[in-house]
Amino acid sequence: MNSLTGLSGGIEETRRSDAPVAEHRFGKGRGQLLPRFSRAPLFPEAGSGGAPLTALIAVISSLAALSLAAFILIAVAAGQWTSDLKSSVTVQVKGSDIEEINARTEIAKGVLSGVSDVIGYEVINSDDAGKLLEPWLGKGNTNGLNVPALIELKITPAARTRITDLARRLSEASPGLVLDDHSEWNGRLAAAARSGQALAFAIFCLIMGAASAISIFAARAGLAANSEVVALLHLVGATDSFIANEVQRRFTLIGLRGSALGTLAALFILALMALATRTRGSDAGFLPRFAFGPELAVALLLVPLAICLVTAVAARLTVLKTLGETY
Amino acid sequence: MIVSLEQAGLAYDGGGEILTDVNFTLGEGEFRFLTGPSGAGKTTFLKLIYLALRPTSGRMTLFGEDVTDAPREALPPLRRRIGVVFQEFRLLDHLTAFENVALPMKVTGVNQNQYREDVRELLNWVGLGSRMDARPATLSGGEKQRVALARALVSKPDLILADEPTGNVDPVMGEKIMKLFVELNKLGAAVIVATHDLQLVDALGKKTMRLEMGRLLEEASPPSRKRRA
Repeated sequence: MNSLTGLSGGIEETRRSDAPVAEHRFGKGRGQLLPRFSRAPLFPEAGSGGAPLTALIAVISSLAALSLAAFILIAVAAGQWTSDLKSSVTVQVKGSDIEEINARTEIAKGVLSGVSDVIGYEVINSDDAGKLLEPWLGKGNTNGLNVPALIELKITPAARTRITDLARRLSEASPGLVLDDHSEWNGRLAAAARSGQALAFAIFCLIMGAASAISIFAARAGLAANSEVVALLHLVGATDSFIANEVQRRFTLIGLRGSALGTLAALFILALMALATRTRGSDAGFLPRFAFGPELAVALLLVPLAICLVTAVAARLTVLKTLGETY
Repeated sequence: MIVSLEQAGLAYDGGGEILTDVNFTLGEGEFRFLTGPSGAGKTTFLKLIYLALRPTSGRMTLFGEDVTDAPREALPPLRRRIGVVFQEFRLLDHLTAFENVALPMKVTGVNQNQYREDVRELLNWVGLGSRMDARPATLSGGEKQRVALARALVSKPDLILADEPTGNVDPVMGEKIMKLFVELNKLGAAVIVATHDLQLVDALGKKTMRLEMGRLLEEASPPSRKRRA
């Protein structure tokens, strides 16, 4: 049938339709009709569990954002720690009493003044070093302990390769002078940071896998619940790709809604954590500062996109596979 | 040739044959009624033609293309040349009458501006111009069938299939719908109507074929059927 022009007046008139086939005028009044085909989803809302799925994606996104934030914060903190440690070395000045410690401190300063690799130094005398231990030992409990004085050195990057020479010169000048280049602590810290990052990344990957699995189950359930709709769409000439596009569009919207909510929830939790660490007072000097840097901002923006991508692609592939197998 | 079946059979996995050795041809502009008792295979026969099923034996061509073993990707363009009307309407309840009628155009990716007027005219023509935004749940049986009819016609199909189209409408509307198929046939569409309503079949005087126990037994005009009766 090339055209419908020629149909008689309409179904209401067929009672008297012994009448000859009359011209049916298509195209008359074009533009009088407001757009009636909204972007109404072809699959009903209930079919693929809109609200529960959105909530589930929100929870998943929140966990993904938190795990990614942990990954980045550990990296940033470890970077701060290790860079601080790498650019400085410490001389411990030990002695049996305060006088001996002070005398050895002067000897050490004399040695350091003649070393070109030393950019500068800061002396922390025995009393001040003792105050650093007060958070653990209690206020006033370090008196009489003869806590070693500390000399914090700022050295050139190249000096690291000659650090053993400096250590030898100090120990030769006085037996109570011990150079600590923090390499052991630095190595342990880096290893711990790497483990923490690997754990956070593994959790992030598992969560993305869970998002993918949820999409697969939801897409299958949606297709099963809408089998009549799928059959009808095929009947009127829809391709598998068209049906997959419809489902993918729906999952993208659900993914966007859910992941935006989840990421906002994660931001709220992170803000609370930042507030908590900021109000810790003296501990803040020892613990890394919890801050929203650009890395964290970019990562948190990427989470909704990644969740959307994973849910949409998983749903699309599931639909194409299921249609090929079932319909 | 619109449809050709050569010794076509259809059997479900683990079950008996639903259709057996069916030989059938339908040329351009031809009209056939398909009659037979319930369970004879009329719906299955139509499903075969609108490609919801494929023959498990024999051969089938549609619009000149062999579809017996055609890949899935080859079927949608052929389905778009077929308009199907069902007894139970098969409208999407969450869409409006307008959206239901426009569905075949939407799935082909045609821009809404190109078919909006056609849909509107068709709905006016079936007497539902004032109910374009109504959902199927608010329509009567006759109105639903008219929406389904408009949906079947919107893509200007070369072949129209109707499976008991008058089964859920009153006799007056049933007569109107049947006469409409005749009218559409005059415009060039080939038509197959499966029905139990022998009175209407006789009244319209079109070629009739009969399915019994999955076999297409005869292809006769109404007078000869009357003589046998």
